[in-house]
Amino acid sequence: MQIFNSIQALFYREYKITFNNFQDIFTILIFFILGILIFVFSIGPNKEIFNYISVGIIWTLLLLSTNLSIDKFYKRDFKDGNIFLLYISGLSFEMIVLIKIITMWIFFQLPFLLIIPIGGIILDINMDKIAINLYIFLIGSPILTSLASISGSMNLLNNKNFSISGIIIMIFSIPLIIFSVGIINATPDLVMPQLNILIGILMLFLAITPWISAACIKLSIRNS
Amino acid sequence: MIRVFINPDKFNKFSNYLLKPLLIVSIISFVLGLLFAIYLSPDDYQQGSTVRIMYIHVPAAWLAMLTFFIMTIYSIIALAFKIPFGFIVNSAVAPIGATFTFICIFTGSLWGKPMWGTWWVWDARLTSVAILLLIYLTIIVLKKSFSNISLGEKITAIFIIVSSINLPIIKFSVDWWNTLHQPASISKLSAPSIDISMLKPLLIMLFSFTCVGLYIAILRIKAEIIERKEKNNDNVIKKSI
Repeated sequence: MQIFNSIQALFYREYKITFNNFQDIFTILIFFILGILIFVFSIGPNKEIFNYISVGIIWTLLLLSTNLSIDKFYKRDFKDGNIFLLYISGLSFEMIVLIKIITMWIFFQLPFLLIIPIGGIILDINMDKIAINLYIFLIGSPILTSLASISGSMNLLNNKNFSISGIIIMIFSIPLIIFSVGIINATPDLVMPQLNILIGILMLFLAITPWISAACIKLSIRNS
Repeated sequence: MIRVFINPDKFNKFSNYLLKPLLIVSIISFVLGLLFAIYLSPDDYQQGSTVRIMYIHVPAAWLAMLTFFIMTIYSIIALAFKIPFGFIVNSAVAPIGATFTFICIFTGSLWGKPMWGTWWVWDARLTSVAILLLIYLTIIVLKKSFSNISLGEKITAIFIIVSSINLPIIKFSVDWWNTLHQPASISKLSAPSIDISMLKPLLIMLFSFTCVGLYIAILRIKAEIIERKEKNNDNVIKKSI
């Protein structure tokens, strides 16, 4: 029972912290909308071109706005020492990372469910494609969150060159981008195989992320 | 025997015996391979003389993947058994892999221009090799962005293990997706689908590239060991003062 209590307490703590720092989420959403506007201005308001590239724009911006949320993962806890308290709390770090991924997914990725339809309407995607895009987003966004967890935990003590954390996310997210944009533009007989591959990637990352992140955090704690 | 691959001192002693014969073998086989590749092998009936790019392209690709495989094995060993020699190998070998990946992509695009009509196609094999080059560059950069060197090495090793997912994707990309890049013609379970007159120079070039890569790798590992010893000595002197 102790474990469930501490898990619940951890959830509540994350909820409190993110709710108090609501401007973080807001900044990321503004970044997303602004990015769409920048794309529109740089390409020009040509509807035929947008038909081809609008889904790609949305997924690129999702990836870039995930880059913004990397240092919200463990950096703050690490700086003020909360992670040392978690270290002696009795929960294993793999569990903590899993809870972090779930809460971060709820607070930093689910708001995009409201924003993606707006972006889709701006970019003139038709409604069916927006609906499919939302379903694919539900599968793809946990992958983005776990990638952010991996690179955030890798760069905890990185004080020279923090921008490399974005590069780590971008390298690993290439298959995700390929298949998630591929599903939406695919012919009907090619949807199921690509969806299966995407779900497979999700399962793979959910399985390996806690181990990788926990190993990196332990390394950082020992070397700090 | 296995200590040679784990212990820096043993490796140093062993490589001193190995270095000179390796140099001679690699020079002889490289000259022989180039001779076979340029003068003594037939033109392809479709591709004409451009098929000779293959004798550089395929060994470079093989070495790029072999280097990453070695780095993966050494990172697993180094992290699991706490053997620092693995980190030395990683940091010494990564630029070699990056160079050979670049050679592979460069010669491939030179070959692709007359054959496919473009320098670059977004095909599965080409894309995954380009990602391999980016991963190599990230590995080189990632280690240097930590002020704590030993931590940076460990994080880089973890990154190498995670990104080794790319290796099977490169290997099987030509089988999984229907691509422009041709499927494997040597490393099949059945007999190779390449003529013996072309297979001979290719195998010699593969051998010589492996020898050259091994030679450079041994030199770089020795240099890395010496550098670390110097740094360690400096630290000891600083502490004693």
